[in-house]
Amino acid sequence: MTTVDGRRNEDVWVVIPVFNEAPVLESVVRQVLTVFPNVVCVDDGSGDGSAEAVLRTGAHLVRHPVNLGQGAALQTGLTYARVQPGAQYFVTYDADGQHRLEDASAMVDVARSGAADVVLGTRFADHADSVPLIKRIVLRVAVLLSPAGRKLRLTDAHNGLRVLTRPVADQLQITMNGMAHASEIVSYLGRSKWRVREIPVSIRYTEYSRSKGQSLLNGVNILFDLSVRNRG
Amino acid sequence: MLIQFLLVLAVLTIMYVFVRSSHAIYVQASKRIALVLFALANVYAVMRPDDLTAIARMLGVGRGTDLVLYALVVAFMAGMFSMYQRFRVVDRRYTELARTVAIREAELINRERGLHSAQVVSIATGDGERAPVVSEDNLR
Repeated sequence: MTTVDGRRNEDVWVVIPVFNEAPVLESVVRQVLTVFPNVVCVDDGSGDGSAEAVLRTGAHLVRHPVNLGQGAALQTGLTYARVQPGAQYFVTYDADGQHRLEDASAMVDVARSGAADVVLGTRFADHADSVPLIKRIVLRVAVLLSPAGRKLRLTDAHNGLRVLTRPVADQLQITMNGMAHASEIVSYLGRSKWRVREIPVSIRYTEYSRSKGQSLLNGVNILFDLSVRNRG
Repeated sequence: MLIQFLLVLAVLTIMYVFVRSSHAIYVQASKRIALVLFALANVYAVMRPDDLTAIARMLGVGRGTDLVLYALVVAFMAGMFSMYQRFRVVDRRYTELARTVAIREAELINRERGLHSAQVVSIATGDGERAPVVSEDNLR
């Protein structure tokens, strides 16, 4: 709800998992803060001054004492954000600056309109050609391989930009600490009754975000983790 | 050959036990029994190698040592799987611990930095477990 006194988006919490992103983090966070006043950065045991960069901004900082993985950082951020007064919408956002704030705002608007309980970003609806070819193929295959992804008719299961409404955030419990959390979230949504919408977003593949992007080989690790999940 | 059938069966059993969600006590007890039996079998095999060879012949394996090797591979696999499961459980606890510490500390730090969401005084967040309390010092 946008109000005249500038108190817009106060019911939105942006969760940014951070691991060694110091070069760009401060400007990314400052930008996010111009649109969303509530930001929590979860520093996942960075050793490069990322935490200090967050402290220079107005974002909340949660520091993992040790490195646990991106999935764990997301869950920590959600756990922190959902006990904050008035929190209704939860946005997950990447620290490397590859997402666009306009996209995030548009997605929050969709969630606010009540049309969906979960809004996911997809790279493949409009501007698919900006995604590197190999990445496009691998991500497509990843969706097709996942039963939940097919059931939800998703086109991009591994987009870092998501909006969760409060009931979803309350229920979601990410147990995959590493990169398998994206698939875990999709499979959770596939099993749940939540209404899921995909919204086209574009990703800025800058030199920096490319260098930080995960290796496709990591897909092997993700598949292994997922195939033995929740058996312990 | 009988041995091939047995080995494949053993591997499949291990996979099955590994993949299905388990009742902890039952599985733990079975693992321990299996470990003790395996140890006893090894002692027996060392004491009476000729018996071992006889058993191996019966199963269609040439030598007793080969049989021991096969058994070792299966046991090794089971051990690895078991270890991996155990590790996952420990990892989950460790994560919970780290998360609790991180959030507790963050609440202190962020309050010191003057960050809080006290502007929203309504406590009706729909979160029954832990309604956020807005204390006076937050209100300034």
